[in-house]
Formats: sequence, structure tokens, C-alpha cells
Amino acid sequence: MAEPLLAIRDLRTYFISKNTEVRAVDGIDIDVQKGQILCVVGESGSGKSMTSLSIMRLVPKPRGKIVSGEIVLDGQDLLKLTEQQMTGVRGNDISMIFQEPMTALNPVLSIGDQITEVILRHRKITKKEALHRAVEMLKFVGVPRAEQIVREYPHQLSGGLRQRVMIAMAMVCEPKLLLADEPTTALDVTIQAQVLELMRKMRDEFGTSIILITHDLGVVAEMADHVVVMYAGQVVESVNADELFEQPLHPYTKALLQSIPSIDADHEVLYSIPGTVPDAASFPAGCRFAERCPLAQPSCFEKAQALREVRPGHLVRCDLVEEGGV
Amino acid sequence: MLTYIIRRLLGMIPMLIAISIFTFLMMHLAPGNAIDAMINPRIKDLAQVQKTLEAQNGLNLPLPVQYLHWLWNVLHGNFGFSFSQHQPVSSLLGPAIENTLILAILAEILILIIGIPIGIMQARRPYSRLDYSTSIVSFVFFSVPYFIFAIFLMYVFAIHWPIFPAQNAVGTGPNSGSLIDHIYHALLPAISIALTSNTVYSRYTRGSMLDVSRQDYVRTARAKGLQEGQVFRKHVFRNAMVPIVTQFGFDIGGLIGGAVILEGLFTYQGMGLLTINAVSQRDYPVIMATTLLIAIGVLIGNLVADIMYAIVDPRVQYN
Ligand SMILES: Nc1ncnc2c1ncn2[C@@H]1O[C@H](COP(=O)(O)OP(=O)(O)OP(=O)(O)O)[C@@H](O)[C@H]1O
Ligand SMILES: [Mg+2]
Repeated sequence: MAEPLLAIRDLRTYFISKNTEVRAVDGIDIDVQKGQILCVVGESGSGKSMTSLSIMRLVPKPRGKIVSGEIVLDGQDLLKLTEQQMTGVRGNDISMIFQEPMTALNPVLSIGDQITEVILRHRKITKKEALHRAVEMLKFVGVPRAEQIVREYPHQLSGGLRQRVMIAMAMVCEPKLLLADEPTTALDVTIQAQVLELMRKMRDEFGTSIILITHDLGVVAEMADHVVVMYAGQVVESVNADELFEQPLHPYTKALLQSIPSIDADHEVLYSIPGTVPDAASFPAGCRFAERCPLAQPSCFEKAQALREVRPGHLVRCDLVEEGGV
Repeated sequence: MLTYIIRRLLGMIPMLIAISIFTFLMMHLAPGNAIDAMINPRIKDLAQVQKTLEAQNGLNLPLPVQYLHWLWNVLHGNFGFSFSQHQPVSSLLGPAIENTLILAILAEILILIIGIPIGIMQARRPYSRLDYSTSIVSFVFFSVPYFIFAIFLMYVFAIHWPIFPAQNAVGTGPNSGSLIDHIYHALLPAISIALTSNTVYSRYTRGSMLDVSRQDYVRTARAKGLQEGQVFRKHVFRNAMVPIVTQFGFDIGGLIGGAVILEGLFTYQGMGLLTINAVSQRDYPVIMATTLLIAIGVLIGNLVADIMYAIVDPRVQYN
């Protein structure tokens, strides 16, 4: 396979305070190929957001800290850059969109102002040209009346439009990688589909790779080329999307897939996984899922599991899965 | 916006009438009157003279009639005649307002240029040693009444090194000086006010900036690659100023009342001094006029606060 655009190696992001150490991200490896849409799934608290914030080096200060690892973008380890150099990467090589388009835009600055400021930060062009570019981008993401909208403020737009503005803002410098942290969760269903469609269009048009974080396996089925399943700060399964749905191997992934509401049912039946995610301040020594795992053996509670390639391109963190995958 | 302002201004009229009635009643319910305060109690025919004077000044009429009389005159721009200073009230008010405004504006400028930068500096590095030490100093200054500073400043800069005047020579009457002269006289009292009151703005700025820096859109600004200075100037500061600008509107309204103790200390001929002297001499026409103006100041201040709010925050719309 070709050199990945982004290679994350053994990334660890902890929240450190006097007597606790919350291991939000605890040794993660992820490869993102050029033009790939990679979905990250997992229950709440599994470290998805902290992974994406780590890539941006925007982990909440002062307690959050990237303690070790490498994040290599196009051959360049982002963790080795100075803060000043990193600001040149943000919004330019890597962009990010967030869950709440409501609060992610600045209420007192006009839409035009907020989009042009990214362009002016990273490109040497005049204000007028930047505004022109902003209007073009807004048109491209399907914002109607783009010429007027640049003079309006976020509160004057609907949720769907705001998320389009966020996408326009993120894409305006044509980044190599777009991080989207649950970008559609706050939107209603029809708007959700449109925004997802738009993100795919961005990938097709600009060749941008996308890391899409989501709770929604329906979104994964719709969008993903590759899927990474996270549990308790670790990757437990990593495989291409088709194989994930056809042949999930990790007991946690299987449980997650069973929790998708069936489409035909009139009332949604949610299969929820019994038990809770272990506390990130004190993970168990053995397999982190063992306590909730229907297949757990005594050995699972003692031995930490390693991520293994059980079939070509199919990685699983479970010793019970045999080579070849059963 | 314009119709909103006009509506608000019209809405003030009933409030001002209510305030003036209340002041009028309070004054007349208190024992003694202006005549008592004016005449020598040892003259012959005291009771007779008192009666005559009361009749001359209309003080023997029923209260509602007196009030309506006053209101009628005010509507015609006539605030009456001061009992104690033997001048039309309006000729006392003009210089007093001017002096008070000069002092108030000067003090407010100093408060802002000291308070806001301190708040910003603290918010940039919260819980740092710098934050703690400047906070402590601020609180110490805040807990000292401003007349203590006034006395101290007066001693140092007016008596020990006579750079500034300790007492005010200009003020009411035809001898009042130029604007520069006014500012010169207002500087020490203004500094005394600013030394304590800047704490209100530094704390407010600090809190507001910290609040805003936790918002999602600040994270967005960083995710765009903006540098820290830009993030603070453009995203944090702009939003943090919304409540502060509003507070500022309220404050300037209250300032027209003058700083009574300070004006007394510096014999600064402002509204505070005028009012307090009028009260002690039962100078009804002056009291009524100053109360009315102070009330107008507060109401206009509230209006200014609301207008400023709409200017800095595009979400606010008045229709
Ligand atoms: N500011 C913080 N201080 C301390 N711990 C934190 C902080 N933010 C997150 N964490 C911890 O880090 C872990 C991972 O959080 P993260 O937000 O990455 O989860 P997530 O997978 O994005 O969950 P969700 O689906 O709810 O968004 C959690 O255990 C959480 O408690
Ligand atoms: Mg999250």
C-alpha cells in the first residue's frame, strides 16, 4: 500500500493532575490513506475526541498532555513542530469541524469575517480576494445567497447552514486532512444526509482525507472506507468498512453492531451493551473489555491484549480471535 | 433602532414625574423648611417675618398646588430661584454639571485604561503568580475608601510638592476657568476614584475573558491556525467586552450624581457638592432640580447600556 497521508504511532494523551492520570488516549495506531474516509467509532468516553484534538495539538490545557507517540503527516512528525509552526498546519493542512455548529462559530463576527480570517492567515492575498474566495466556497458547499450571507451573523442561520459554513471555513484552504467530530449529531435527519453528502463531495473534489468520528453506525455504513473501533483509549479493531459489517471479529465490535436499530422495525430496538466503560483513571491490567465480554476467559482478565493482524488488513485486539479470523 | 430610542425616551417621562413627586413629598415631610434655615432666629417678630417670607415664596400653599406650580415652571425651562444662593437654579446647575461631567469622564477613562489591561493580563495567564499578585493589590486598593487616596494624593501632590491644586478655585459663577483649567482641577479627584474603582473593571474583564476562552468558538479559532495573540484580540476580547460595555453604560449614568465626599474634600463645585449643600439648607428648588437631573442621568445611562449592548452583540435586536 502507498505511504499513508497520516500515520499515528503509539499516541498517548493523558490528563494529569496531582494524584490522578486519566489515560484518555492510551497507545493508538491509525493510518489514514490519501483520499480515504476513515470512521472512528466507539462508546462515549473511549477517547475519540481526544485523538482528533491530539492530531491538532489542541488538547485542553493545562491538564491535557500528549505524553508520547508520533503523528506523522506527509513525512513530518507534528509533535516535533514548534507551536508557531503548528499554527501554520492548523486550518491549512489539517482542518477540523465540530459537533455543535451553534457554538463553534463566533457570535459577534460576521460569517465573511470568520471565513476570510483563515484564508488571510495562510495565503498571501488581499482582503477583497479573500472575501471573493469565501463567497465562492460558500456557493460550493451549497449555501444560498452567499453574497449576503457573508455579511450576516451565525445566529441568523439555521443549524444546517451553520454546519455548511463550518465546512466551507474548514475547506477553504484545501487541507489534506479534515477532522470531523460528530459533525451531524446535532442536526436533524434530512440535513444530516445532506451534510454527509457534502463531505463526500469535498473528498471527491479536493482529494481530502477525512477522519469522521461518529456514534452512528448508520453513518459508518454510509460513509466509511475504513473503520477504527475504539474502546477505553485503545484501538480494538481496524478494518475496511465492508469487512467490518460482514465479519466483525472483536466481541466489542460485534456487540456494537448488534446495537444498530433495525431499519424495518417500526419501533427502534436498541441493543445496549451491559456494563460500563472502565474508568480511564484506573484501567484493569488485562483486557479492558473483559468485564463486559460474553466470551471472556479467566486469562482475559490477566493478560493485556495486543493489536494483531489476524487477516490481511484486519487488526484485532483480542487473543480469542484465531489467525485467519473466527 | 431610532424608534426604539424614541420609545424609551418617552417612557422616561412618567418615571421622571413619579420620581419628582416622591422627592417633593420627602422634602416637605421632613421637619423645618428653607425659611427656618435662612433667617436669624433672634430677630424681632420672628413668626411674622416667617409668615411673610413663606407667603412670598409660595410655601403656604397646599402641597399639590406647590408641586404643580413647580412642574409648570420646569416645563417652561424655569427651575426656580435658589433660596440660599440667591441665584436662578439654572445658573447654578450649568457649571455644576459641567464640572461633574469633566470629573466623571476623566475618572471613567482612567478606570478603563487601568482596569481593562490588568484584567486582560490576568486572564492571559490565569492562576499564575502574576495573576495572584496583581489580584491581591487590586483588592487592597478596592477595600480602601477613595477619600483615603484623596487625602494621600492631596498631601503628596498638592502640599508636599505643590503640583496640583488641593482646593478648587474655579467652578460656579462667572469666574469659572477654561477646560484645561477644569481638567487640571479634576485630575487628583479622578485619580482617587480610579485607584479604587478600576478593580471592578479588572475583575470583570478577567472573569469575562476566562469565561469566553472556554467557549467552543475559541477552540475553532485555534483550529483555524490563528496565533494566540490574534485568538485573544479578535475572538476572546470582542466577546468578553459585551458585558463590560453594558456595565459601562450603567456606570456613566450613575456618575452624574457626582462623588459627594470627594467633591467635598476638594471643594470641587460639582453636582455632589451642590446637592449636599442644598439639602443642609433646605434649598427646595435646587434639590428638586438636582434630583431630577440625577434621575435623568441614570435613566439615560440605562438606555446607553442597552444601545451599547446592541452595538457590540449582533444577536441583540430592538424592535
Ligand atoms: N478536560 C478533561 N479533563 C479530564 N479528563 C477528560 C477531559 N476531557 C476528556 N477527558 C476524559 O478523556 C476520556 C476520553 O474523552 P473523549 O472526549 O475523547 O471521549 P469521546 O470518545 O470523544 O466521547 P464522546 O463520544 O462522548 O464524545 C474520557 O474518559 C474523559 O473523561
Ligand atoms: Mg467526543
